[in-house]
Amino acid sequence: MRSSVSYILSSSTSEPNMSHPDYEQYSHDHAALLVLIRHIGSQLKPKTFVKFYDRISKLTSVRITDSTGNVRTILVRYVKEHPVENNDWGDFQTHRRLLGLISLGKYDSQQELNEICRVHESLKVKYTSTLFDSRCILFGPTKEGGSSSDTSTSSPNSDSSGSPAEQTIEKFTTPSNFKTRGLFYDEAAPCSDLETQIVEFINSLFWVLESKRLERSREKLERVSLLLAPFEKKDFVGLDMESRNNKKKCTGRMTKHLGDLCLQAGLLAESLTYYGNAADTLKTVNDWLWLGAAYEGLCAASALVLYPEMQRSVPLQRNASLQEGSSPKKTVVVSSIDVGARKASIPNTLAPEDISKRYREAIIHYSKYQNAGIVETEASFKAARIAVEQNHSLQAASFLQNVVYINLTLSEQEKIQRFETLAELYTQIGFTRKAAFCQRLAATRYVSPQNPAPNWNRCYNLMLQSLPGHRLSLDPAEMREVEQGWPVLQIQLLQELVVAAKRMGHSALATRHMTFLLQTMWSHLTPTEQKELCIQLQALSSQCEGSPVPLVLDNGIVIPPANLTNIPLCHSYVLRNLQPHLQPRKIQAVKQDTGPFLFTPIHFGSLDRRSTGSQSKMGFLWVENEPCEVTLKLSNPLPFELKVSDMRLLTSGVVFESLPETVVLSPSGSPPSVITLHGTPRESEGQLQLQGYSTHTLGVKSNCRLRHMAGFPPHYEVEIVPSLPLLDVKTSLPQSSTFSSFHDYENVVTSASVSLHHGESAECTVTITNIGHVDVEMLEITMQTVLEPGLQEQMFTWSKENLLSQLPLKPGCAASLTLYLYAAGSFLVPGGTANEFSSGVFSSSISGPGSLPSRLNSPSSSFHRNVNSSFRSSNSGHSSMSATLQLPQLPINQQAAAVVEGQLQIRYSGGPGLQAAYCRCCSVFLTMETVPSLHVTNWDVLPAETNTQFYLVLDVANLTSQEMELQYTPSKTMLIEGHESCRVPVPVKRCPLSKLDTGENLASGDLDRICSEHIANLVDLRWHLLGTDTRGKASLKGITLTNDMLDEVRMSPLLWEVVINEDAVRPQEEVTCEAGDCLELKILVTNSLDKVLNHLSLSVQFYQDYENGTVNYRMETRLATTGTTKKIMEELEPQGRAQHECNVIFFTPGQYKIDIQCSSPDNATTVPCLPSNGHVWRFTPPVNVLVN
Amino acid sequence: MSDDAVFEFLHSELINYIISQNEGKSKEGKDEDLSNIEYIGFSTGYRIIERLTKEMPRFKDELDTMKFICTDFWSALYKKQIDNLRTNHQGVYVLQDNSFRFLTKLSSGKQYLEVAPRFVAFTCGIIRGSLANLGIGCLVTAEVQNMPSCKFHIQVQRT
Amino acid sequence: MAVCVAIIGKDNSPKYFCCLNPDEELGFQYKVLSSLDVVEEKLNTTNKGTNDLRELYLGMLYSLETHKIYGYVTNTKIKFIIVVDSTNMALRDNEIRSMFRKLHSEYADIVCNPFYIPGDAICSKSFDVNVKNIMTGTV
Repeated sequence: MRSSVSYILSSSTSEPNMSHPDYEQYSHDHAALLVLIRHIGSQLKPKTFVKFYDRISKLTSVRITDSTGNVRTILVRYVKEHPVENNDWGDFQTHRRLLGLISLGKYDSQQELNEICRVHESLKVKYTSTLFDSRCILFGPTKEGGSSSDTSTSSPNSDSSGSPAEQTIEKFTTPSNFKTRGLFYDEAAPCSDLETQIVEFINSLFWVLESKRLERSREKLERVSLLLAPFEKKDFVGLDMESRNNKKKCTGRMTKHLGDLCLQAGLLAESLTYYGNAADTLKTVNDWLWLGAAYEGLCAASALVLYPEMQRSVPLQRNASLQEGSSPKKTVVVSSIDVGARKASIPNTLAPEDISKRYREAIIHYSKYQNAGIVETEASFKAARIAVEQNHSLQAASFLQNVVYINLTLSEQEKIQRFETLAELYTQIGFTRKAAFCQRLAATRYVSPQNPAPNWNRCYNLMLQSLPGHRLSLDPAEMREVEQGWPVLQIQLLQELVVAAKRMGHSALATRHMTFLLQTMWSHLTPTEQKELCIQLQALSSQCEGSPVPLVLDNGIVIPPANLTNIPLCHSYVLRNLQPHLQPRKIQAVKQDTGPFLFTPIHFGSLDRRSTGSQSKMGFLWVENEPCEVTLKLSNPLPFELKVSDMRLLTSGVVFESLPETVVLSPSGSPPSVITLHGTPRESEGQLQLQGYSTHTLGVKSNCRLRHMAGFPPHYEVEIVPSLPLLDVKTSLPQSSTFSSFHDYENVVTSASVSLHHGESAECTVTITNIGHVDVEMLEITMQTVLEPGLQEQMFTWSKENLLSQLPLKPGCAASLTLYLYAAGSFLVPGGTANEFSSGVFSSSISGPGSLPSRLNSPSSSFHRNVNSSFRSSNSGHSSMSATLQLPQLPINQQAAAVVEGQLQIRYSGGPGLQAAYCRCCSVFLTMETVPSLHVTNWDVLPAETNTQFYLVLDVANLTSQEMELQYTPSKTMLIEGHESCRVPVPVKRCPLSKLDTGENLASGDLDRICSEHIANLVDLRWHLLGTDTRGKASLKGITLTNDMLDEVRMSPLLWEVVINEDAVRPQEEVTCEAGDCLELKILVTNSLDKVLNHLSLSVQFYQDYENGTVNYRMETRLATTGTTKKIMEELEPQGRAQHECNVIFFTPGQYKIDIQCSSPDNATTVPCLPSNGHVWRFTPPVNVLVN
Repeated sequence: MSDDAVFEFLHSELINYIISQNEGKSKEGKDEDLSNIEYIGFSTGYRIIERLTKEMPRFKDELDTMKFICTDFWSALYKKQIDNLRTNHQGVYVLQDNSFRFLTKLSSGKQYLEVAPRFVAFTCGIIRGSLANLGIGCLVTAEVQNMPSCKFHIQVQRT
Repeated sequence: MAVCVAIIGKDNSPKYFCCLNPDEELGFQYKVLSSLDVVEEKLNTTNKGTNDLRELYLGMLYSLETHKIYGYVTNTKIKFIIVVDSTNMALRDNEIRSMFRKLHSEYADIVCNPFYIPGDAICSKSFDVNVKNIMTGTV
């Protein structure tokens, strides 16, 4: 806007001319009387002065009736200080003249009063060239009670009517040379007539002005002298004063001056006319300076007409903290109707648009004069304010823009003020960025090298205010959401802020701002910048550490904390579950109550998606007073090593004690480091929320909260369970090397392994130590294997009562549990392997009678294994044990060692955890390797010598490689070599009939079962391995018996007694006789049942056994019998006895056998223990007869 | 001439592709698939509006923008203008196209009424994207009652 | 011949900034930032219904001592700012307008790039080259 014509008429500016611009001028001030209110002396407190100043300055307009009866509105402007030089410009623009002076002072003594008066007089002298009138307001000492507020008197009379009592009250008088009117007040009093006094003062000023105006207006325009602006004085030396141009200049200037005076005197219409005329005149002579002034006057007057409400806003509160938080853009727009009406009311008023145009022209004219800089500046500001009133922001902006280019020599303070005013005006029009820019410039001016008194404090404050204009907010959380603003500029500003804070001496602030810069602008910084700034931060924080607390400045501004979440950068934050054996479990599995519906496809209470539950709630539990872990992955974005110390977890909710960690991160580029943070919850009953972690790095402490970091939920929640005891388990057995793929072996804490032979027992002592702090009140032990429950119980037993008696287990104490292990195995392996018998070897020493006739029958069913082993069966009863047997192959695993695995689960709880129904579970992994010891491959039943016993002949195979000593009766043992087998006869009591008699019909299987149980119970086989000195048992559980065997096993229901030749026959005894001898055979049968036996047929048969498997019953030629060999007994009472006699004569020598049997027919008898089909009882063993 | 056909083919293949992709996922509902198509339309509209409004003078107000959409914009894309624009002046606009280009190739009867939404999703996205770039946030839905005419409901979201 | 070009997005944050002389970049950033105020003002006052509003070209925003700043706002509220050296008197209004038009078509091209997400900063080498050509007037 400035004129492109460079300074014309410029001379060196050696004269000091109006060196102090007044930035607060409004165009209305052109019409105001200038009054200075001064504070004199030091007694008056500044607050009081300010109070009175405000009071007086409220009187800005006074209505005065002039001599013609018109009421004029006189405006008054009050200032606190006024440079004298400004008065020199009074000819140019009359409103610059100081017209009135009011001074305020307080005194306590006459001296002070005199002093005040003296100063006042000197002030008057100072401004004497323009001053019209003055007043001096004097505040006397405060008196109690007495009338201190007196009306204004010119000079109080001396105390004439003073009584002696009043002599203490001094009356003060102004000195005699005091020519000003003094107003005496008491500062504490309301001073009600102060306003009146001031109005009267203004009145007096007005009348003087009016008289001067009239005087001037009466002057003849042609003969006026030339009015000059101060710097023009020497320009007009030597010029022709009489030329027409000059005359016109004179006229024009005087007209303009008159306009000024009219304006001040309240005559708007005339002033407009005068200004108009002056402008026309001056334009013709190109008197630009005064033309500009005329234009300005015109604009001022028009503005007064159109916008009489426009005035400076009186600040309500002079609060130091209230900076220029200026009002936002004015929204009050004077409606155009009003404006039009006002314009029409007074002729010659400029239209609103014209005001700006004229002002522009005026400023352009001013710009041609170098010395008119201040006038130009003030004019720009005034024009801008008018434009603001008109709501023309662009125009206002252009006026303001012009200000900066005006070349003035200003002191730094004035420059600063200029920028501050600019900023305020820019803010008013809404140009926040420009305002921020100006504020920043003002801030830099405060501390520029030219400034003799650098004020870093103000610099800092101004910069702080310019932050919003740059779209910077001091709260990092806000910055994260809004991505606006220009990063480069923001970084620049923040760096300057840091410097200011540092120089101000507030190192905490410096650290805080640098932290803020690094935190929010990280992504916009280049790597070199990042590194540099980090190093700077380290240097700053060495002076004052940064910490995440808000800082409060003196003026009340709060600087929120800034946390460094970028250094180091966290990639993952994972809460770790406790180890499985430490995890708390619910004692009772809570059954989910889903209501009566089994299945509903509708999910009530949810929207279209089924919420899978917030991912921030952890599915596991932590225990009070026990350490917990959180794993973090951190990476270092800086190119140098970073030490991060004092890393803790940030939690809320339950009391949590966090252990600090220190870590050194390697420079950027390397993979993220994994760090585990530990902590202990110290409270239970609630949720623990993990909010983040805190770090101390680069000298700054930060609280990094997850909610402020991208990619993380706001917090994680874990439920804390009351404290539970902790157990340590040890066993007396060695540990096993491998765990097989057993289910659920995570909570295995120790293991035990043992290798046993079948039938061997072992003991394992499990020691349970309480290594926690809580008593163990509940302890449950269960065993888990894949075996059947019955077998499991056999193999693993312990005493529960013993264990429970050791509770409660105090911390530090130990309980022990003895686990009895027994390797159960099946000893009955019918058949064995081919190896065993292929050679048909039998152990040599068999105690007992030699080759026993045996009935080897195939067992009806096999136990455990589906093996069909067939024996050569013979019904004739003659077979040799040495017959080779054909045996099929058996499955291999019968021979191999079997491994039984089990887990001993220990569930325990105590203390508060128990009350909350939680327990812990740990387990011991047991491996029992069972090695076969012996197998019973064959068994047979032989009658014994006595009726009450029978012989159970067992083929025992020693499957170990050691020598085994088998004890099969309490007194008899047998030695078996490794991998050899032998045959042992075990005498067993026959199963008494009482066992068999259950009162009902027995199925054949039941009979079998009862008898086999009987045998198993009675037979006690113990083996002893001589090499390793291991002992064990063998059980015959499950032995199967055929019907024939059953006959032998159980007590025969018939008691036989055979008497030959009056000699009772004992089993295994041979009867000898001669050929041709007659043998008398008497057979006695007793029914030992308690039931009746019907239809028994007794028969005697003779045969020869060739010992090679064949028997010959055809003895007709060899012998003859007398009497019947068959007899039928109809009925045999219980305990009844039947007798039969017959004789036999053998013809030829030889060996004969007698087969005596008693059979019942096929018809079912009602005897319960007999099978329903026919049964045959034999007298066994058959009687041997040797005939010579 | 051939340009039009290429665009139509591309459009129908695009819909085909998205539908077949979604069939592999869940059968939860067809409504979800179209969001992908709509987003593609949004992205396209957002970018193309920059090019199309290069030479145009500035829009005075919302209604002006809508008129632009109905006339120049639609012509640029579909070689014809919107047949009917209605508004309640409170931020709801209804644009009616009596022979929507993508639907004219389908038979005009009840047969394909169910699958018609697939073919208008892209256009909904285009409208939404263009308006978003012009500074008007809105919600666009489409309604097909009689093939091949289609109504687009635009609801401006005033914040 | 422009000395500086800036593209400012809808939210008034810079999307692209290019200076022929990198040393002056900070100063130019300040100037362009201040000129944004004027741009906003001009956009707001178009409610008064003057003819200027139909044009995308805003004209001269600021005249500084050594530079002149021109503005241009698209319908999608993207602002282009060109800073021109004052001493270069040869540049007239038409030439500035044509510079803006070329800039606008460059911008439209880059928006159509599917890999460019509108709202991000523009970093494309070919865009740089093109803009520099526009600035130096060699296009």
